[in-house]
Amino acid sequence: MKRPEPNMLYNLASTFMGVPSPKSYKAMGADYGVTTAIGTGPFKLDSFAIGLETVLSRNGDYAWASDLSVNQGAAKIAKITFREIPDQSTAFLELKTGGVDVLLGVPTDFLSILKKEANVATVTIPGTGINYMPINTTAEPFTDIKVRQSTALAVNQKAILDSVYNGVGQEAHHFLINSLPAGKVKSELEISYDPAKAKQLLDEAGWAMKDDGARAKGDQSLKVKLFTQNDTEFKRLAQVVQAQLKDIGMDAEITVFDSSTIRDEYKRNAHQLAVRGYDWNNADILDWFFSGNRLGYPNVSMWQDAKSEELNEKAMKASTNSAERIANFLEYHEYLLSQFLFVPIYQPTTNIAYNTGTVRVPKTIRVPRFRSQTVLDMEVVK
Amino acid sequence: MIVRYSLQRLLMLIPVSVSISIVIFLIVHMLPGDPIDNLIRVGSSPQDRAALAAKYGLDRSLVVQYFVWIGNIVSGDFGQAIVLRRPVADLIAQNLPYSLTLGALAFAFSSIVGMILGTIAAVAKRPAVEQVVKGFILFGSTVPGFWLALLMILLFSVTLGWFPVSGAKTWSALVLPVLTIGFGGIALVARVTRVALLDVGHEDFVTLLHAKGLSRATILFRHLLPHALVPVVTILALRIGWILGGAVTAEFVFGRPGLGSLLIRSLGQRDYPVVQGCLLMLALAVMLGTLIGDILQAAMDPRIREAST
Repeated sequence: MKRPEPNMLYNLASTFMGVPSPKSYKAMGADYGVTTAIGTGPFKLDSFAIGLETVLSRNGDYAWASDLSVNQGAAKIAKITFREIPDQSTAFLELKTGGVDVLLGVPTDFLSILKKEANVATVTIPGTGINYMPINTTAEPFTDIKVRQSTALAVNQKAILDSVYNGVGQEAHHFLINSLPAGKVKSELEISYDPAKAKQLLDEAGWAMKDDGARAKGDQSLKVKLFTQNDTEFKRLAQVVQAQLKDIGMDAEITVFDSSTIRDEYKRNAHQLAVRGYDWNNADILDWFFSGNRLGYPNVSMWQDAKSEELNEKAMKASTNSAERIANFLEYHEYLLSQFLFVPIYQPTTNIAYNTGTVRVPKTIRVPRFRSQTVLDMEVVK
Repeated sequence: MIVRYSLQRLLMLIPVSVSISIVIFLIVHMLPGDPIDNLIRVGSSPQDRAALAAKYGLDRSLVVQYFVWIGNIVSGDFGQAIVLRRPVADLIAQNLPYSLTLGALAFAFSSIVGMILGTIAAVAKRPAVEQVVKGFILFGSTVPGFWLALLMILLFSVTLGWFPVSGAKTWSALVLPVLTIGFGGIALVARVTRVALLDVGHEDFVTLLHAKGLSRATILFRHLLPHALVPVVTILALRIGWILGGAVTAEFVFGRPGLGSLLIRSLGQRDYPVVQGCLLMLALAVMLGTLIGDILQAAMDPRIREAST
């Protein structure tokens, strides 16, 4: 290696870094990892049909489980069929009628309904992402840091958590998930709801409140574009944010795009505000979303700043040990927060529901994600 | 004469196919977004992105890309899916049987029931019967497919437990999707059948048949229906294309694979080769349906054959 690589341990621990068998890799050619898989895990791939199902069967020889599994031998479940059910209502009815035993990725608003079912239990573990609102720093009026800060302070994370997510999950006040050490920023840098200060900042920026509750600077009204993608959760979130921005006199017009089109809109620099989310459990996500090398997308904030680049470079390439890495990413994270490039909104949870009459799921999930370490400890009841 | 007519229609499909392939290619590539965004991972550099674009030939001009694609199609190669990373032909072959089974059954169900209901609505002497059938036709034309699908699941799967909620592995899993998408088709076929029968019923030759003392059943089955079927056949033939791609809502709600679902998934990911392959298949099915409809019409009505010569 020519330089220290602070993400090396994280990358080596990733599923993507599993060492393939050279013999299998050569034999399967382009199909390796696409239609067939040879690995060292607790299950073998039996079949895979896009849009239908993936069938796995137990690897009877498996005896090298991690300490995160209580069961150190072969899996207790002989066969697992993963089915793809795109409609959430249908998936819920499948669980209710016993068509499926476990439901992964349960939407938060389904949890209260599922909890009423006698034969269903739910498991909620912290998620690994953040829903947030990037602010385009190159688009008027957001070139003014006071307007950005005002926008950030206008969003009421607590109200959103309660009204959109029924209190499930956590408020987000910074860009990284809470479990990351680089997410432990100084409390004064956390972005939190403060409508009085938000209004004061707009006044200071010259956006005066009119009699009708809207703001204007001279002849120009405070009207902005708020983009989001065609997804029920994000559409609801955008509507609540729109209402909260209206309270400080900012008129946000929502436009909904599909996930590919919205990226093009970001690249065209056509946006001002956007409601979106990411899912990543490493601090290098800061580089991905705020590096000046990726303006438009993924750098939706269009942020390009000399000090930011310097801190990014230091965090990404100059750390030589874990403590340095955390300190460097924390410094970079805090600087980004001080510039009000985004509004952190919500930290989602990962929700699983299962049929208590057919499967037993460990009470404690000992890994950050619902993965094979937990599946090894699951068993069929009947 | 019918063979000559069929050959003429078949030859006309060649320029139409070429035009459609150009339109499909341009529409797909003019959509905002590109497939590389769905491939790059956190940490990828702009150079990684450019390398991926070059790997899939997306850095070439549109003209070159079109000729490469159409050249491969002619030799039977639909290309390689960019995001799904499998041959497009394999993906289509994997999904086509599900679409064909569901579409063909729904087509048969809606055609048979639609023609029966349309006939009842046209010949019913009792206004109540006619009103009930007309009400059914109106309901079938307006009810949203996804709502009907969920209603069917709640009634037949959750409450009665007769059929599975979703899936595609058993024949019983076909019943609710077939009923759901067949329902809208029934309304269309019934409406056309009813109007066609009422139109033919007012012709002078029908009055003559009544005057000759033929029974109502004989007049209906031997004389009215063959005439009234011409517009019905046209509508049915146009729906052959719909067999392949018209079941997207049912596929989504009932968790079934199919060409429509593959198209929607690939469209969201801008997986150009798959979208182009699926659209081309659907366009070919529509053209084939139109061709079959034209030939059947010509076989049933000599005036059409004569007009084309």
